Amino acid sequence: MEITREIFWNVGSWVRWPVYGLGLLVVIIFILGLVKRFRLWRIGKPDIRNDQILKRIGTVLSYGLFHKRILKEPYPGIMHLFIFWGFLFLLIGTALIFLQEDFTRLIFDKVFIQGSFYLTFSFILDLFGLMAIIGVLLAAFRRYILKPERLDNKLEDAFGLLLIFLVLVTGFTNEGLRIAVTRPEFERYSFVGWEISKIFSSSEQAIASLKTAHVVCWWFHVLLAFTFIGYVAYSKLIHLITSPLNQFFRSLTPQGEIKPIPDIENQETFGVAKLQDFTWKQLLDTDACTRCGRCQDNCPAHLSGKPLSPKKVIQDLRNHLNQSAGNLKKQGGGQEETVPIGGNVILEDELWACTTCAACQEACPVFVQVIDKVVDLRRYLVLMESKFSPEVKLFFKNMETNSNPWTIGFATRADWAKDLNLKNLSENKEVEYLLWVGCSGSFDERNRKVSRSLVSLLQKAGVSFGILGSEEMCCGETARRMGNEYLAQILMQQNIELFSNYGIKKIITLCPHCFNTFKNEYHQFGGNYRVFHYSELLLNLYQEGKLKWKTGIEMKAAYHDSCYLGRHNGIYNAPRMLLNSLPDTKVVEMKRNRAKSFCCGAGGGRMWMEETLGKRINQLRVEQIAATGASVVATACPYCLTMLEDGIKEKGLEKGLSVLDITEILDKAC
Amino acid sequence: MDVIVCLKQVPDTETKIKINPEGTGIVTEGIKYVMNPYDEYAVEEALKIKEKFGGTVTIISMGPARVVDAIRNALAMGADEGVHLNDPAFEGSDSFTTAKILSKVIKDMKYDLILTGKQAMDFDCSQVFGCLAELLELPYVSVVTGLEISADGKTAIAKRETEGGVEEIIQMPLPAVVAAQKGLNEPRYASLPGIMKAKKKVIKEINLTTLGMTASEVGEAGSKMKTKNFQLPPERKAGKKIEGEPPEAVKEIVRMLHDEAKLI
Repeated sequence: MEITREIFWNVGSWVRWPVYGLGLLVVIIFILGLVKRFRLWRIGKPDIRNDQILKRIGTVLSYGLFHKRILKEPYPGIMHLFIFWGFLFLLIGTALIFLQEDFTRLIFDKVFIQGSFYLTFSFILDLFGLMAIIGVLLAAFRRYILKPERLDNKLEDAFGLLLIFLVLVTGFTNEGLRIAVTRPEFERYSFVGWEISKIFSSSEQAIASLKTAHVVCWWFHVLLAFTFIGYVAYSKLIHLITSPLNQFFRSLTPQGEIKPIPDIENQETFGVAKLQDFTWKQLLDTDACTRCGRCQDNCPAHLSGKPLSPKKVIQDLRNHLNQSAGNLKKQGGGQEETVPIGGNVILEDELWACTTCAACQEACPVFVQVIDKVVDLRRYLVLMESKFSPEVKLFFKNMETNSNPWTIGFATRADWAKDLNLKNLSENKEVEYLLWVGCSGSFDERNRKVSRSLVSLLQKAGVSFGILGSEEMCCGETARRMGNEYLAQILMQQNIELFSNYGIKKIITLCPHCFNTFKNEYHQFGGNYRVFHYSELLLNLYQEGKLKWKTGIEMKAAYHDSCYLGRHNGIYNAPRMLLNSLPDTKVVEMKRNRAKSFCCGAGGGRMWMEETLGKRINQLRVEQIAATGASVVATACPYCLTMLEDGIKEKGLEKGLSVLDITEILDKAC
Repeated sequence: MDVIVCLKQVPDTETKIKINPEGTGIVTEGIKYVMNPYDEYAVEEALKIKEKFGGTVTIISMGPARVVDAIRNALAMGADEGVHLNDPAFEGSDSFTTAKILSKVIKDMKYDLILTGKQAMDFDCSQVFGCLAELLELPYVSVVTGLEISADGKTAIAKRETEGGVEEIIQMPLPAVVAAQKGLNEPRYASLPGIMKAKKKVIKEINLTTLGMTASEVGEAGSKMKTKNFQLPPERKAGKKIEGEPPEAVKEIVRMLHDEAKLI
C-alpha cells in the first residue's frame, strides 16, 4: 500500500474552491485588522528604529523564537513554549500540504508527502499538536484554577484559549475518524489520531455515519481555524504579530538612558499630554503587551501596595488608544484630545510611585518600556502644569539655588573633605581622575563617611585624582527622572562646561545614579568621558595588586544590587568579587538578586518624596535581607544605604543587622 | 484689578554670611541671590487676584543688575510687567529712602493694590511697606495670612497675625498696601512655558535721571540711617548632652536648671 494519505479524503477535492474563497476573506479581514492598528501607531511621533538590523533579528530569534525571557519562569514558560512551537509546526505542516496540493501536485503531479517522509511528518505533527493541547490545558489550569494574582481574566482570554483548543481537538478528531474508516497499519505513526480512532467502531454499518461525522467535523475544523486567523488581528492574539515587531524595534540604547527633550528652548509644549505626543514605538508597546503581568510581579511599587502597576499603565494607554481611535488624526489636524493623559488616564499617584528601577522592563519578554512613558508623562505635569507635591517643589527650589537636594548652602559642599588634604581641580588639574562625590556623599552625614572611605582607598592605591570642591553641582539625574528636564539640562550643561574647563576625561563616581547619567546621558549634550563606578575601579586596582587586604573581615554579608548599577548598567559582578576577595567574608544572596533585585525605593526621585501609600519599599527589602541571616548588608549606592538603614531602624533590627558601603568594608581590611 | 508687587532680591537663606575685613558690609562673593521668600507670597497672591479679577501684575524691584533674575522669576510665575530701579546712586538707601524711590515710581502708575513681603530676609527691617503707604497716603496692613477682595474691587478684608496668637481681621478700602506673611498661600513653581515667555519680556529700566531725583536725595546721601559697622552675632555655645538612664538624667537636668541656670 502506498504510504501517504489523500488530503481531501471523504470531503472531495472540490472543497478547495470554497476553502480558497473563505481563506481569502479571512486574510483580508486579518490584514484590515492589522492596518487599523498600524494606523493607530502612526499617529505617534517619528523614532528611528531600523539601525543594527542583525542585532534586531537576533533579538527576535532568541527572545521570540527561543523564548529566552519567557522561559525564565518555568510554568508559564513551558506552557507558552508548547503552544507556540506546537502551532509553529502545525503551521509548517499545513503550509507543506498547501504546497503539495496546490502546486506540486496540481502542476507537476508530484506528491512528496509520502513514504518515510509521510510517517515522520505525521509523527511530528501529532507530537507538536499534542504539545499545543497540553500547553492550552496548562494555560487554562493556571488561569482558572491556580489564578495567579498578576493575571486578570477577560472574556477574550477564555475565548482565545477555547478557540485554540477546539481547533486542535477537531483536527485530531478528523484524523481519528479518517483512520477509523481507512485503517492503514502505518498510521500508527499518527499516534494521537491512531488512539482516537480506537474510540470509533469500524463495523460496516458505522462507516457511513463515521464518514458523515468526518465531513461535519472537517468543516467545523476549517471554520474554527479561519475564525482563529481572523480573530488574531482583533484580540490580544495580535501579539503573534506585535510582540515580534516590538522585539525587533526594541530600544538598543542603554537601559539607563532617558531621551532628552531636544532643543528645549524652542519648544512650545513639553512631555506627553496626548497620544500623539508619544512616538510610534511607544504606542506599539501598548499593543505588544499580552497582559502576562511579569512586570507587576517584579514592581516594587505594586508589591508594596501602591496604585502603580506597569501592566495597568500600558493597558490603560492601550484602552485609551482604542477609545480615541475614532477621532484620532495625525498630529496637527483633526480633533485634539482635551484632557492630558497624566492625571486622567494615568493618575498622578501612579506616575509618582515609579522608582524607575527597571525591574518591569527586565522581566518583559517583549521589551515593553515603562520608564520612558512615566518620565514623559511626569514631564508634562512638571513643566507644563507645575503639578507635584510640596516635597518635589522644595527639591527643585533647592536644586536651583544650591545645586543639591537639601536646603544646604552650596559653599559647604566640600566640607566633608576639609581635613583630608585633598586637592581641588582649581588648585591642581594635573590629575588622572576626577572623583565626583555627588550630593549624598557631600552633604549626607552617613554617606560622607563613605566618601572618606573611598578617598582613603584611592590614596592607598596611589590613584591620581582630585575633586571639584564647592564647584561640584548635582549631576541632574534625579531632576530628570522627576520630569524636570529643564532643570536637569541646565545642571548637565553647566557641569559639561566645568569639565571642559578642567580637561576632564576620566570620572570616578561614588553614586550609581551619577554614574549612569555621566555614562549614558551626558553624551546627549556633547559630554563624553570614561566613567567608572568605584566598584569597577577598585576591582581593577585589587586585581592589579595596588590594593591589598591586610586583614580579613569576618562576617556574613548580603549584597544589595543598586538598580542603577545592576539592571541599568549590568554591573553585578564587580561589587560581589570585591566582597568575595576579602578573607573570612561570606557573601550570601537574597532571593531577589542581580537582574531580579528589589529596589530600595529611592530611585526616580522617590528618595525626596513622602511614601504615604501602601507599605514602605525599604522595609520590604529589609525583610528580604533579614531572611538571609546576614549580619551586614553591603551596598554600593548612597540612596540604597540611606533607605536600608532607615528600613532597619524602622523594623527595629539594628542589633543584628547593619548597612555598610563596600568602601567602608574594604577600607577596614586595607 | 491692577496689582503692584514690590520685591527684593536677597542672599539665599542658607548663605554663610561673612563680614568684609573693613567691617563695612558683607562679602558678596559666592553668594546666591534669591527672591525674598516673603515676597514670593506677595507675587503668588497678586497672581491669584489676577486670575480671579483679571487685570495686570507689575513687579518693581530695586538693586544692581543681578536683580533682573528675581524680576524674571516673578514674570515666569505669571506677572505681566517688570520695572527695575537700577542706578549706582540708589545703593545704600535705607528703608525710608527706598520707600521714597518706590513711591516716586508708583504714584504715576495705575493700581488697585500694592503687595509686598512682611520683611526682607537680609536686613529684616520690615519698614518699607509702612513708609511707602505713608508716602502714598494709603492704608496698610502687615503680616497678612489671608486676603479677600470684595466683588466690586473697592475694599479688602485681611487676616493678620499678631503676637500672642490673636488673629485680627481688618477691612480696608482699596488701594492699599498689604505685606504678606508665610501661610498666605503656597507660591507656584513657574512652568517652563512661563519661564520661556518671561525671557522675552522687556523689563523697564529706571535710573536716577529717568526717575527725576537727584543723587543727594537717594542712596546713602539721602538716607537718615547710617550703618557704622557690621558684626557677626556671637557664636552660640554648644548644647549639653546628659547621658545615663532617664531617672538619673532627669535628676541632673533639675539640678542644672536650679543651680546653674537658676530657672527653678
